[in-house]
Amino acid sequence: MLKVSNLTKKFQSGDHVVTAVNDISLSVPSGVFSTIIGKSGSGKSTLLSLLGALDKPTSGTISVDGQNVGTMGDSKLIRYRRDKIGFVFQNYNLIPNLSAIENVMLPMEFSGVGKNTRVERAKKLLEQVGITEDKQERRPGRLSGGEQQRVAIARALANKPKLILADEPTGNLDSATGKVIIDLLKKLAKTEDTTIVAVTHDNGIAAEAEITFTLKDGKLLK
Amino acid sequence: MGVISRGIRNAFRNIIRTFSITFILALSIAMSLVMLLALKTVQAKIDSVKGSIGNTITVSPAGVRGFEGGGDLLTAADLSTIASVPNVTNAVSVMTDRMNTNQDTNLQSAIDPGTFGGRQRQRNGETVTPDNGSGGANRNGSTNVNRTFTMPITVTATSDLNSLASLSVGSFNITTGSKFDPSVDQNVALVGTDLAAKNNLSVGSTFKAYNTDVTVAGIFDTGNKFTNSAVVMPLKTVQRLSGQTDQFNSIIVQASSIDSLSSVQSAIKDKLGSKADVVSQQDTSNQAIAPLQNIKTISLYSLIGSVVAGSIIIFLTMLMIVRERRREIGVLKAIGSSNLKIVSQFTVESLALTVMSSAIGIILGFIFSNPVLKVLINNSEAGVANAAPGQGARGGGMFISRLGGGLNNARDALQNLHAVVGWEIILYGVLAAIAIAVIGSANPAFIIAKVRPAEVMRAE
Repeated sequence: MLKVSNLTKKFQSGDHVVTAVNDISLSVPSGVFSTIIGKSGSGKSTLLSLLGALDKPTSGTISVDGQNVGTMGDSKLIRYRRDKIGFVFQNYNLIPNLSAIENVMLPMEFSGVGKNTRVERAKKLLEQVGITEDKQERRPGRLSGGEQQRVAIARALANKPKLILADEPTGNLDSATGKVIIDLLKKLAKTEDTTIVAVTHDNGIAAEAEITFTLKDGKLLK
Repeated sequence: MGVISRGIRNAFRNIIRTFSITFILALSIAMSLVMLLALKTVQAKIDSVKGSIGNTITVSPAGVRGFEGGGDLLTAADLSTIASVPNVTNAVSVMTDRMNTNQDTNLQSAIDPGTFGGRQRQRNGETVTPDNGSGGANRNGSTNVNRTFTMPITVTATSDLNSLASLSVGSFNITTGSKFDPSVDQNVALVGTDLAAKNNLSVGSTFKAYNTDVTVAGIFDTGNKFTNSAVVMPLKTVQRLSGQTDQFNSIIVQASSIDSLSSVQSAIKDKLGSKADVVSQQDTSNQAIAPLQNIKTISLYSLIGSVVAGSIIIFLTMLMIVRERRREIGVLKAIGSSNLKIVSQFTVESLALTVMSSAIGIILGFIFSNPVLKVLINNSEAGVANAAPGQGARGGGMFISRLGGGLNNARDALQNLHAVVGWEIILYGVLAAIAIAVIGSANPAFIIAKVRPAEVMRAE
């Protein structure tokens, strides 16, 4: 479902040109939980940005569910991110003055989904990720780290995306909570038939994945 | 939860900041409204003062002051010259004279000279014999003043009985009888109500004037004791009887409008040269209006300053908020929000702050509009106090007092300025608030568009 061919991303840094992603090619089928592992500065987050159409590659192609991301204009990219991609961030990045359920409803609102449908699906997703009804009206400040990340995962699933990109999803969690989150992601990949690509520097988490890609200095190691 | 509700909720994210910004912006909006109100109030008063003072010019022989002064009388040629000046709509010729009892007329004046009249006589060199009459001290220290003389009787002859200015009155009502045709030379007169009562005159009665029998055609009331003791006669008749044929001691000119008054006055001065004094009430009205113009100028600049200050406040506030929430903007973009939605959300937030501030600002404007106006007036009253009445008028104290009265009217106009807050002002306040909010959101919107969603992917 996810196919990357000869992807390269270069940045200008002062007088130097930095190649953050260097000629990467990979593919991940649907319903698979995969990881990209590498040390700091290996290009993991840059690769994730490119896959999520948050940034444009210098060269190469990215295809998600048959759509070539590289040829899209800005408005199409917005729709693409909204409908095809879900993001889970290391710092959860929930909107602080919205409740858990309101955060999950947000992507659906951007897609034009009706209010009743939004509420119903948001409740279902929150229950799926283990956020009980009594916590659904709480704001992120009143939830634990693990609970916030669950809400973030539910938000990522809101528009039934084909691809979920998770950037260090357990980076701010303790190991026990982190394991719970990874197990959740693995389960959701199957139940929601969505491809999950998680970036991590933790070998333990990488071991949980069906496919693992190793990055070093912007290159994919075989 | 939509853009509007999110925007409104965001306005209350930080209660302390919201309160501070709302308060400061409210003060700015209140000041804008107060100045706008002052501007409109003062402009209305300026228009009212201009309207009440009128567009009349008085032309009199140079150096004339009442009945004491020199100068050569104006002629029919002068009248013709004046009438030919552009924007002159009417020119009324006037001859005013004084008749002394038992010399020029058999009428007794209805005005008691009083202490002031006696002193005036002494000042003129006449000996005033004390009597055992009423009290009051004369210039020699005597406590009694002679009351054996009578006041002269003013006779006014005009070419237009409808010209109140030519009669030097504010109103002229015929209580019995009727007006005569002023263009016809006939021995008739209109007599003031006090004079008629004093001399037992009624319509049809006769009295002596210039050794001629004059018939009373009507009795008038001006509401003023001085002019109610006067006589009005046809112009040609008085000219004939007083031996001043085709001569006038003043010409009352009507300009087409307040705005043309100055040009008409200048044109007449140019044409008549040094032989005539040309005085308009615009001189005094300008002196009276000057402080009002000062208030208007201060109000205008303060209004502009307040609106600019309000715009800057909300602009900087939104700039600060957008910079703070840069990451959040990136997240919204990452999860599929368009720039338009994000900008709309921040605009609603800006509007929410501004509308709240407007509500408070309008209330403060209500409270402070009149006190602020009073401060502006107090600082400008010196201009009115220093204004002097015009010179070279005809016809004695009556005209000068009328000039002074006009000046007092202007002083009253300044002191009686009172702001009235209507729905129109509230609407201006709300519209100004919306404009400030939209302006304030403009640059933040630009920043929003520039935020790259990839920024949210950077690890902490």
